Amino acid sequence: MTSYDTVIGLEIHVALLTQSKFLCSCSASFGAPPNSQCCPICLGLPGALPLINEKAVEYATKAGLALNCQINHFSRFDRKNYFYPDLPKAYQITQDAFPLCTKGFLEYYVDDRLVQTEITRIHLEEEAGKLIHSGASIVDSEYSLVDYNRAGIPLIEIVTAPDIHHPRQARLFLEQLRLLMSYIGVSDTKMEEGSLRCDANISLKPNGSSVLGTKVEIKNLNSFRALERALEYEEMRQSQVLYRGGTIRQESRTWDDRAGKTMSMRSKGDAPDYRIFPEPDVPPLYLDPVWVELIRATIPELPLERLRRLEGQYGLSRYEATFLVNYPDFGELFFALVSQHFGYKSIVNFLMGDYARLAREKGHLNPKRIAGLLKIVDEGVISQTQGKGVLDDLFSSDLSAREIVEEKGLEVVGDPGRLRPIAREVLAANRELVSRFQNGETKLFGFFVGQVMRVTQGKADPGVVNELLRDELGK
Amino acid sequence: MIDRREVIRMARLARLELSEMEIDQYQKDLTSFLTSGKKLQQVDVSRVEGTSHAVSVAHELRKDEVGKSLPQEAVLLGGPQVQDGFFRVPRIVEAQE
Repeated sequence: MTSYDTVIGLEIHVALLTQSKFLCSCSASFGAPPNSQCCPICLGLPGALPLINEKAVEYATKAGLALNCQINHFSRFDRKNYFYPDLPKAYQITQDAFPLCTKGFLEYYVDDRLVQTEITRIHLEEEAGKLIHSGASIVDSEYSLVDYNRAGIPLIEIVTAPDIHHPRQARLFLEQLRLLMSYIGVSDTKMEEGSLRCDANISLKPNGSSVLGTKVEIKNLNSFRALERALEYEEMRQSQVLYRGGTIRQESRTWDDRAGKTMSMRSKGDAPDYRIFPEPDVPPLYLDPVWVELIRATIPELPLERLRRLEGQYGLSRYEATFLVNYPDFGELFFALVSQHFGYKSIVNFLMGDYARLAREKGHLNPKRIAGLLKIVDEGVISQTQGKGVLDDLFSSDLSAREIVEEKGLEVVGDPGRLRPIAREVLAANRELVSRFQNGETKLFGFFVGQVMRVTQGKADPGVVNELLRDELGK
Repeated sequence: MIDRREVIRMARLARLELSEMEIDQYQKDLTSFLTSGKKLQQVDVSRVEGTSHAVSVAHELRKDEVGKSLPQEAVLLGGPQVQDGFFRVPRIVEAQE
């Protein structure tokens, strides 16, 4: 029986985080009343003349550089014609034959293996409007509502080569791409608000064959999980068709997240014929190489570089380093605390422990207040266990860790002058056990320590207590 | 003469409804356009760089600043059907397994 290899390519749309739209000065912000951020240009009214937003070109270039692309000095805009309700002009201004960026790659880990996925191209284009369907999905909606606030927001479309081999790899790629975009600050990359979207192409070919099979495009992938599940479903569906001797139809399918399956989308109109031609209203783009270098200089440390630094320079494990890279807010905190000379491991353990849980609920603490807590635990003023209680209080009050310790009287008591009378009292109250201890029941020692700790409400320094008890019992 | 079906297809792509007479007329007109185009194709342009714009405009970019938009009522004025500030459009695709 033939076995099949899966071939996946992704097309990712990333909305760029500009103040105004791509070709007009309407606000690009999210959440305004519907159709309140539109003008003759983004509505495509006759006579309107679009002008390219400089920031959009800058961000697209930055994304291209971060993805190791060639940035093309000359690129051109094209008009892609089609009728769809989310497209007010009945055409989209995009880049077809001459995209801004070509031939790049993204390097990322799949388990312990570093892999590369080729980026075929990145081009600039305008976003379409937003459709709200009357039914549960587009296929069972009698009508739809359209909001053109989003129409004309600058987008980049990132296209990968078909060299992703399994659904999970597709998901890992997309997660790393999202992280990269958020590191370079060109997008807020919120899948739930649609500022990061992904369509997937998937086909199967006989194992070892160099000829690609017929591909199916999957749309409506609104989360990382949806991407992976939809590809798994489609992998299974296509292999079943092939094993039965059938053929795959080239088509677009939509992912139904609730039903957990893809469904064919048959358009009511003709097969698409976009009649693409050079956009007459927008002149070609000639990038100044000096400007490109200035943009390159604004690229910060990227996720993979940071991962290597955390492992190499700070000796963190892959797991710890990945946590700090994937949650850049925790990464920044780590670096802030490292600069105050704490042990790397103890900082990372602290950040990944109770702190992570509390910070996700209530937001981050100021690094200074965290440092205050780490310091008094380090100095032995309070124990690790007491530290957890103080941490809770740091989230709910404005006091410093030291102030909380003072207010609650939490300091460890290590003064033998204060502890010796307590030790004597404990022994005096348990004469019978003392004599059993002295007759060889040495495991009773722990009981005496526990009693002293109980009387001091856990504040006694266990080392000092041990020493004092040994001394008193030996008398 | 170009194919009559080609005229009908182009009209459909442009969402135009043409009468039989108009189809006849466009068939003639478009044929004459294409004949002129064929003549142009005979010119040797192998040494001329392709042009996408009549005027060469270099690097005309706009600063990323928010300006005024139209009021919502004005935007919705062109919509045949409107609901709660949205344009309302009929069914878009049919489903099949």
